Amino acid sequence: MNPVLLWFHQLGSPPTFDRFARRWAPWGFGLGLLTMAVGLYGALFVVPADYQQGDSFRILYIHVPSAWMSLAVFAAMALYAAIALVWRIKLCEILAMACAPIGAAFTVITLATGSIWGRPMWGTWWDWDPRLTTELILLFLYLGVIGLYHAIEDRRTAARAAGLLAIVGVVLLPVIRYSVVWWDSLHQGQTIRVFGESSIDGSMLWPLLWMVVGTKFWFVGSLLARARADNLRREAGKDWVRALAAPTGEHA
Amino acid sequence: MSYIEYVVAAYAVFAAVLAWDFVAPRIRTAQLLRAVRMLASRRAAATTVTADESAELTR
Repeated sequence: MNPVLLWFHQLGSPPTFDRFARRWAPWGFGLGLLTMAVGLYGALFVVPADYQQGDSFRILYIHVPSAWMSLAVFAAMALYAAIALVWRIKLCEILAMACAPIGAAFTVITLATGSIWGRPMWGTWWDWDPRLTTELILLFLYLGVIGLYHAIEDRRTAARAAGLLAIVGVVLLPVIRYSVVWWDSLHQGQTIRVFGESSIDGSMLWPLLWMVVGTKFWFVGSLLARARADNLRREAGKDWVRALAAPTGEHA
Repeated sequence: MSYIEYVVAAYAVFAAVLAWDFVAPRIRTAQLLRAVRMLASRRAAATTVTADESAELTR
Protein backbone atom coordinates (compact mmCIF):
# COMPACT_ATOMS: atom_id res chain seq x y z
CA MET A 1 0.00 0.00 0.00
CA ASN A 2 1.08 3.59 -0.68
CA PRO A 3 2.81 4.86 2.51
CA VAL A 4 0.72 8.07 2.62
CA LEU A 5 -2.51 6.10 2.22
CA LEU A 6 -1.34 3.67 4.88
CA TRP A 7 -0.60 6.57 7.23
CA PHE A 8 -4.12 7.95 6.66
CA HIS A 9 -5.63 4.56 7.46
CA GLN A 10 -3.53 4.26 10.60
CA LEU A 11 -4.51 7.79 11.68
CA GLY A 12 -8.13 6.62 11.73
CA SER A 13 -7.27 4.38 14.68
CA PRO A 14 -8.21 6.22 17.92
CA PRO A 15 -4.95 5.56 19.83
CA THR A 16 -2.87 6.60 16.81
CA PHE A 17 -4.93 9.78 16.40
CA ASP A 18 -4.53 10.51 20.12
CA ARG A 19 -0.74 10.30 19.83
CA PHE A 20 -0.82 12.44 16.66
CA ALA A 21 -3.05 15.12 18.20
CA ARG A 22 -1.06 15.15 21.46
CA ARG A 23 2.12 15.72 19.51
CA TRP A 24 0.97 18.31 16.94
CA ALA A 25 -1.68 20.39 18.78
CA PRO A 26 0.96 22.35 20.76
CA TRP A 27 2.79 23.09 17.49
CA GLY A 28 -0.40 24.49 15.96
CA PHE A 29 -1.02 26.71 18.98
CA GLY A 30 2.67 27.70 19.24
CA LEU A 31 3.06 28.63 15.57
CA GLY A 32 -0.31 30.38 15.68
CA LEU A 33 0.72 32.47 18.68
CA LEU A 34 4.10 33.32 17.17
CA THR A 35 2.66 34.33 13.79
CA MET A 36 -0.17 36.31 15.37
CA ALA A 37 2.31 38.04 17.71
CA VAL A 38 4.21 39.35 14.65
CA GLY A 39 0.94 40.40 13.01
CA LEU A 40 -0.36 42.10 16.15
CA TYR A 41 2.93 43.94 16.67
CA GLY A 42 2.70 45.27 13.14
CA ALA A 43 -0.99 46.11 13.50
CA LEU A 44 -0.62 47.95 16.81
CA PHE A 45 2.84 49.53 16.68
CA VAL A 46 4.20 49.67 13.12
CA VAL A 47 1.35 50.49 10.76
CA PRO A 48 0.37 54.21 10.81
CA ALA A 49 -3.13 55.30 11.81
CA ASP A 50 -5.65 55.61 8.99
CA TYR A 51 -6.20 59.17 7.80
CA GLN A 52 -10.00 58.84 8.10
CA GLN A 53 -10.61 56.16 10.74
CA GLY A 54 -7.71 56.97 13.04
CA ASP A 55 -6.62 54.06 15.24
CA SER A 56 -9.99 52.32 15.05
CA PHE A 57 -8.97 50.70 11.75
CA ARG A 58 -6.51 48.54 13.79
CA ILE A 59 -9.55 46.52 14.87
CA LEU A 60 -9.77 45.22 11.30
CA TYR A 61 -6.54 43.24 11.82
CA ILE A 62 -8.46 40.89 14.11
CA HIS A 63 -11.92 41.34 12.57
CA VAL A 64 -11.05 40.38 8.98
CA PRO A 65 -9.00 37.19 9.71
CA SER A 66 -11.68 36.05 12.17
CA ALA A 67 -14.43 36.65 9.59
CA TRP A 68 -12.52 34.62 7.02
CA MET A 69 -11.99 31.87 9.58
CA SER A 70 -15.70 31.82 10.48
CA LEU A 71 -16.44 30.93 6.85
CA ALA A 72 -13.45 28.62 6.27
CA VAL A 73 -14.10 26.60 9.43
CA PHE A 74 -17.73 26.08 8.43
CA ALA A 75 -16.61 24.84 5.00
CA ALA A 76 -14.12 22.47 6.66
CA MET A 77 -16.80 21.23 9.05
CA ALA A 78 -19.18 20.50 6.17
CA LEU A 79 -16.42 18.73 4.24
CA TYR A 80 -15.55 16.47 7.20
CA ALA A 81 -19.26 15.85 7.79
CA ALA A 82 -19.78 14.87 4.14
CA ILE A 83 -16.83 12.46 4.25
CA ALA A 84 -18.15 11.01 7.52
CA LEU A 85 -21.63 10.55 6.07
CA VAL A 86 -20.45 8.94 2.83
CA TRP A 87 -17.58 6.75 4.07
CA ARG A 88 -18.63 6.39 7.75
CA ILE A 89 -15.20 7.44 8.99
CA LYS A 90 -15.47 8.00 12.74
CA LEU A 91 -12.47 10.33 12.89
CA CYS A 92 -14.12 12.64 10.34
CA GLU A 93 -17.25 12.79 12.53
CA ILE A 94 -15.04 13.81 15.45
CA LEU A 95 -13.17 16.41 13.38
CA ALA A 96 -16.41 17.86 11.98
CA MET A 97 -17.87 18.27 15.45
CA ALA A 98 -14.60 19.71 16.79
CA CYS A 99 -14.80 22.43 14.10
CA ALA A 100 -18.12 23.79 15.41
CA PRO A 101 -17.00 25.50 18.66
CA ILE A 102 -13.88 26.90 16.98
CA GLY A 103 -15.95 28.35 14.14
CA ALA A 104 -18.45 29.71 16.64
CA ALA A 105 -15.59 31.36 18.57
CA PHE A 106 -14.29 33.09 15.43
CA THR A 107 -17.83 34.17 14.52
CA VAL A 108 -18.32 35.69 17.99
CA ILE A 109 -15.01 37.58 17.57
CA THR A 110 -16.13 38.77 14.12
CA LEU A 111 -19.50 40.03 15.36
CA ALA A 112 -18.13 41.58 18.56
CA THR A 113 -15.15 43.34 16.98
CA GLY A 114 -17.28 44.48 14.05
CA SER A 115 -19.79 45.93 16.46
CA ILE A 116 -17.06 47.67 18.47
CA TRP A 117 -15.59 49.12 15.25
CA GLY A 118 -19.07 50.13 14.02
CA ARG A 119 -19.85 52.26 17.08
CA PRO A 120 -17.36 55.07 16.33
CA MET A 121 -17.41 54.63 12.53
CA TRP A 122 -21.10 54.07 11.79
CA GLY A 123 -22.47 55.58 14.99
CA THR A 124 -24.23 52.36 15.99
CA TRP A 125 -23.35 49.05 17.62
CA TRP A 126 -25.58 47.05 15.29
CA ASP A 127 -27.49 47.36 12.05
CA TRP A 128 -29.66 44.79 10.28
CA ASP A 129 -27.39 45.02 7.30
CA PRO A 130 -27.17 41.94 4.97
CA ARG A 131 -23.54 41.13 5.88
CA LEU A 132 -24.08 41.49 9.63
CA THR A 133 -27.37 39.59 9.58
CA THR A 134 -26.01 36.66 7.55
CA GLU A 135 -22.97 36.45 9.82
CA LEU A 136 -25.33 36.33 12.81
CA ILE A 137 -27.26 33.50 11.12
CA LEU A 138 -23.91 31.71 10.70
CA LEU A 139 -23.39 31.92 14.47
CA PHE A 140 -26.88 30.44 15.02
CA LEU A 141 -26.01 27.62 12.61
CA TYR A 142 -22.82 26.87 14.54
CA LEU A 143 -24.82 26.87 17.79
CA GLY A 144 -27.40 24.62 16.13
CA VAL A 145 -24.73 22.10 15.15
CA ILE A 146 -23.25 22.15 18.67
CA GLY A 147 -26.70 21.85 20.27
CA LEU A 148 -27.83 19.01 18.03
CA TYR A 149 -24.61 17.10 18.63
CA HIS A 150 -25.11 17.29 22.40
CA ALA A 151 -28.86 16.67 22.32
CA ILE A 152 -28.65 13.09 21.04
CA GLU A 153 -27.17 10.49 23.36
CA ASP A 154 -25.64 8.14 20.79
CA ARG A 155 -22.46 9.90 19.62
CA ARG A 156 -22.47 8.52 16.08
CA THR A 157 -26.14 9.30 15.43
CA ALA A 158 -25.61 12.76 16.95
CA ALA A 159 -22.60 13.43 14.72
CA ARG A 160 -24.50 12.32 11.62
CA ALA A 161 -27.52 14.53 12.41
CA ALA A 162 -25.36 17.55 13.22
CA GLY A 163 -23.19 16.85 10.18
CA LEU A 164 -26.25 16.95 7.96
CA LEU A 165 -27.13 20.38 9.35
CA ALA A 166 -23.56 21.53 8.63
CA ILE A 167 -23.79 20.33 5.03
CA VAL A 168 -27.11 22.08 4.46
CA GLY A 169 -25.74 25.23 6.13
CA VAL A 170 -22.99 25.55 3.52
CA VAL A 171 -25.59 27.30 1.31
CA LEU A 172 -25.19 30.32 3.58
CA LEU A 173 -21.46 30.79 2.84
CA PRO A 174 -21.78 32.31 -0.67
CA VAL A 175 -24.68 34.44 0.61
CA ILE A 176 -22.39 35.91 3.29
CA ARG A 177 -19.54 36.33 0.82
CA TYR A 178 -21.60 38.14 -1.83
CA SER A 179 -24.07 39.91 0.48
CA VAL A 180 -22.21 43.20 -0.02
CA VAL A 181 -22.49 42.79 -3.80
CA TRP A 182 -26.09 41.54 -4.06
CA TRP A 183 -27.67 44.06 -1.69
CA ASP A 184 -27.13 47.67 -0.70
CA SER A 185 -24.99 47.30 2.37
CA LEU A 186 -23.60 49.54 5.06
CA HIS A 187 -20.69 47.12 5.28
CA GLN A 188 -17.82 47.97 2.98
CA GLY A 189 -17.17 45.91 -0.13
CA GLN A 190 -14.16 43.76 -0.96
CA THR A 191 -10.89 45.47 0.00
CA ILE A 192 -8.40 42.63 -0.33
CA ARG A 193 -8.20 40.64 -3.54
CA VAL A 194 -6.18 37.47 -4.07
CA PHE A 195 -6.37 38.06 -7.82
CA GLY A 196 -6.08 41.70 -8.83
CA GLU A 197 -5.14 44.84 -6.97
CA SER A 198 -6.23 45.31 -3.35
CA SER A 199 -7.58 48.69 -2.35
CA ILE A 200 -5.59 48.60 0.90
CA ASP A 201 -2.08 50.06 0.76
CA GLY A 202 0.74 47.48 0.79
CA SER A 203 2.28 49.03 3.93
CA MET A 204 -0.96 48.27 5.81
CA LEU A 205 -1.47 44.81 4.34
CA TRP A 206 1.41 42.75 5.72
CA PRO A 207 0.22 42.47 9.39
CA LEU A 208 -3.13 41.28 8.05
CA LEU A 209 -1.44 38.48 6.11
CA TRP A 210 0.47 37.41 9.24
CA MET A 211 -2.82 37.35 11.15
CA VAL A 212 -4.49 35.31 8.41
CA VAL A 213 -1.72 32.69 8.57
CA GLY A 214 -1.67 32.81 12.39
CA THR A 215 -5.38 32.10 12.73
CA LYS A 216 -4.97 29.09 10.39
CA PHE A 217 -2.23 27.63 12.59
CA TRP A 218 -4.35 28.34 15.67
CA PHE A 219 -7.26 26.50 14.07
CA VAL A 220 -5.09 23.43 13.47
CA GLY A 221 -3.96 23.39 17.12
CA SER A 222 -7.47 23.90 18.44
CA LEU A 223 -8.99 21.34 16.08
CA LEU A 224 -6.51 18.67 17.20
CA ALA A 225 -6.97 19.50 20.90
CA ARG A 226 -10.78 19.41 20.68
CA ALA A 227 -10.86 16.31 18.50
CA ARG A 228 -8.53 14.59 20.96
CA ALA A 229 -10.86 15.37 23.86
CA ASP A 230 -13.88 14.00 21.97
CA ASN A 231 -11.92 10.94 20.83
CA LEU A 232 -10.96 10.20 24.45
CA ARG A 233 -14.57 10.61 25.60
CA ARG A 234 -15.80 8.13 22.99
CA GLU A 235 -13.04 5.66 23.87
CA ALA A 236 -13.21 6.12 27.66
CA GLY A 237 -13.89 2.44 28.34
CA LYS A 238 -10.96 1.14 26.29
CA ASP A 239 -7.71 -0.22 27.71
CA TRP A 240 -5.50 2.31 25.92
CA VAL A 241 -7.38 5.22 27.57
CA ARG A 242 -7.07 3.52 31.01
CA ALA A 243 -3.35 3.14 30.38
CA LEU A 244 -3.14 6.79 29.37
CA ALA A 245 -5.12 7.87 32.44
CA ALA A 246 -2.94 5.84 34.81
CA PRO A 247 -0.85 8.14 37.07
CA THR A 248 2.30 7.53 35.01
CA GLY A 249 0.60 7.89 31.61
CA GLU A 250 -1.31 11.16 31.80
CA HIS A 251 -0.62 13.69 29.04
CA ALA A 252 -3.50 16.10 29.41
CA MET B 1 -9.58 60.60 16.74
CA SER B 2 -7.66 57.82 18.49
CA TYR B 3 -10.64 55.66 19.54
CA ILE B 4 -8.17 53.79 21.72
CA GLU B 5 -10.84 52.46 24.09
CA TYR B 6 -12.58 50.73 21.17
CA VAL B 7 -9.30 49.21 19.99
CA VAL B 8 -8.54 47.94 23.51
CA ALA B 9 -12.05 46.48 23.88
CA ALA B 10 -11.86 44.68 20.53
CA TYR B 11 -8.43 43.19 21.24
CA ALA B 12 -9.59 42.16 24.73
CA VAL B 13 -12.52 40.25 23.19
CA PHE B 14 -10.14 38.58 20.73
CA ALA B 15 -7.71 37.56 23.51
CA ALA B 16 -10.49 36.34 25.83
CA VAL B 17 -12.19 34.17 23.21
CA LEU B 18 -8.89 32.63 22.04
CA ALA B 19 -7.89 32.01 25.68
CA TRP B 20 -11.19 30.14 26.20
CA ASP B 21 -10.57 28.20 22.97
CA PHE B 22 -7.14 27.18 24.27
CA VAL B 23 -8.22 26.24 27.79
CA ALA B 24 -11.60 24.52 27.18
CA PRO B 25 -10.34 21.30 25.46
CA ARG B 26 -7.51 20.99 28.01
CA ILE B 27 -9.95 21.13 30.92
CA ARG B 28 -12.21 18.55 29.25
CA THR B 29 -9.32 16.18 28.56
CA ALA B 30 -8.00 16.51 32.11
CA GLN B 31 -11.49 15.93 33.60
CA LEU B 32 -12.02 12.89 31.41
CA LEU B 33 -8.68 11.30 32.24
CA ARG B 34 -9.31 11.96 35.95
CA ALA B 35 -12.73 10.29 35.71
CA VAL B 36 -11.23 7.24 33.96
CA ARG B 37 -8.48 7.04 36.60
CA MET B 38 -10.98 7.25 39.48
CA LEU B 39 -13.20 4.59 37.92
CA ALA B 40 -10.20 2.30 37.47
CA SER B 41 -9.14 2.77 41.11
CA ARG B 42 -12.71 2.10 42.36
CA ARG B 43 -12.87 -1.07 40.29
CA ALA B 44 -9.46 -2.17 41.58
CA ALA B 45 -10.62 -1.57 45.18
CA ALA B 46 -13.85 -3.55 44.57
CA THR B 47 -11.84 -6.45 43.10
CA THR B 48 -9.56 -6.48 46.16
CA VAL B 49 -12.55 -6.54 48.55
CA THR B 50 -14.20 -9.39 46.60
CA ALA B 51 -10.94 -11.38 46.62
CA ASP B 52 -10.61 -10.86 50.42
CA GLU B 53 -14.21 -12.01 50.99
CA SER B 54 -13.71 -15.20 48.94
CA ALA B 55 -10.52 -15.96 50.82
CA GLU B 56 -12.45 -15.55 54.10
CA LEU B 57 -15.19 -17.95 52.93
CA THR B 58 -12.75 -20.69 51.89
CA ARG B 59 -11.00 -20.67 55.27
